[in-house]
Amino acid sequence: MEFLLGGVAVFLLLNLAVGLVRVVRGPADSDRMLAALLFGTTTVAVLLVLAALMAQPALRDVALLFVLLATLLSIAFVGLPGGDPGAHR
Amino acid sequence: MMLLAFDLLLAAGLLGLAVLVVAGPTLFVSLVAYTVFGLLMAVAWARLGAPDLALAEAAIGAGLTGAMLMLSYRRLLAIRPERTGQRLVRRSRLALPIALACTVLSAGLFMALAGLPEPQRSAGGDALAATAQSEVGNPVTAVLLLFRGYDTLLELLVLLVAWLGVAMVQAQARPSAPRPPAPVPLLDALLAAVVPGTVLVGGYLLHAGGQAPGGAFQAGAVLAAAGVLMALAGRLQPRARATPVQAGLLVLGLLVFTAAGLWPLAAGQPLLALDGLATVYAVEAAMTVSIALGLCLLFLGAAGLGSK
Amino acid sequence: MSLVELAAALFLLCGCAFFLAGTLGLLRFPDTLSRLHALTKADNVGLLLICIGLAIQSGSLRASLQLGLVWLLALTASTVSAHLVARRAHRQSNGAGR
Repeated sequence: MEFLLGGVAVFLLLNLAVGLVRVVRGPADSDRMLAALLFGTTTVAVLLVLAALMAQPALRDVALLFVLLATLLSIAFVGLPGGDPGAHR
Repeated sequence: MMLLAFDLLLAAGLLGLAVLVVAGPTLFVSLVAYTVFGLLMAVAWARLGAPDLALAEAAIGAGLTGAMLMLSYRRLLAIRPERTGQRLVRRSRLALPIALACTVLSAGLFMALAGLPEPQRSAGGDALAATAQSEVGNPVTAVLLLFRGYDTLLELLVLLVAWLGVAMVQAQARPSAPRPPAPVPLLDALLAAVVPGTVLVGGYLLHAGGQAPGGAFQAGAVLAAAGVLMALAGRLQPRARATPVQAGLLVLGLLVFTAAGLWPLAAGQPLLALDGLATVYAVEAAMTVSIALGLCLLFLGAAGLGSK
Repeated sequence: MSLVELAAALFLLCGCAFFLAGTLGLLRFPDTLSRLHALTKADNVGLLLICIGLAIQSGSLRASLQLGLVWLLALTASTVSAHLVARRAHRQSNGAGR
């Protein structure tokens, strides 16, 4: 079981590495933002698997923190000018 | 074995992201890479067996810093739009030789450190032994409040002084409110779900800090992030002055900690010898409030907060 | 492997498959909106399957409840984030053409 959990963690990290390709390629900033969203969820999954693998329940609290603050980056990004021609200000 | 592969992949990922931050094709790529670096750093802290640091890194590195960089990027788009299409630093022919020299230096340091004998007696071991005798179960909280309380007290002072600097500058410059996105019903639903949940999680972390990973700083950072979330959505506006209540909350942590530290002098104990779990919790609660408000105001670059 | 461990392993592997699908979609789909469609599958279903697998493996009610809470909040966060980014991408491609 440990082996499987470790394998899942390694697999998720490899997913992260592949997602980085999208960050570099783009072409639009929204695409890079998408990759950042995927990274957030993948990191949460990695932390949850590590919590089981290392028998450290506090890591689930870290994952909880991550999901609570995950929208912060998206909301900051969406406020960038040039994205919403119909908005005021 | 799988854990070794995980650790190697994590280290390689951190290195690759660092390279991407510095050498990314545009500024935005560097920005996203830096945020992801914060995410992986939290995983690295988790792997090193430091959940307290992972909590702090999650709240600050991945949450607040990412949003702050994004807002700075927006400001850059307004004042220097041509800069955003460029890379972070210019290419230089010295890069490769310096990188090789740093690698050789790091390898030499690593081999020297690996060859050192184990210390007979370390401060960490003493701290763990002393923690076992106190009522506080979490060694990090014990070190922060019981053994090195003076450092923590001064950290609160540093936060307060930073806010004072911002408040003084605000007298000259107008605070610029982050432009909220156009009204989105989904955003209101998100705030309704997330902000109370974040306050609960902050309270939980504060309470858990006594015996498990958590503590005042993590709880304060989480609450600050909730405040920043509301500010980005337009519910909280930065103001040029702090109301008396806000100013009072900012100094509350410092005052309570100082009072709790001076109290033992009356009983003949040394300064800052906090006794009992109740004192620790009271000090931590006051610290949480001050840290939360201080961090939120520093993020917004404002002296005070107001509602819309 | 006991039956419980087998069930947990099955859920974990299915979750990984969804994550792989999300990443592949992120790489191979032609435009922003379709990439968003792909990666939200990883966000929602992939994380759900992994959480179920971990909950079965942990065997503890507290851990399972924590995992469920994390998944619910991840659902909320990814929904709102995806919606906001999609709106922006859609308006950018349809609007001022910038």
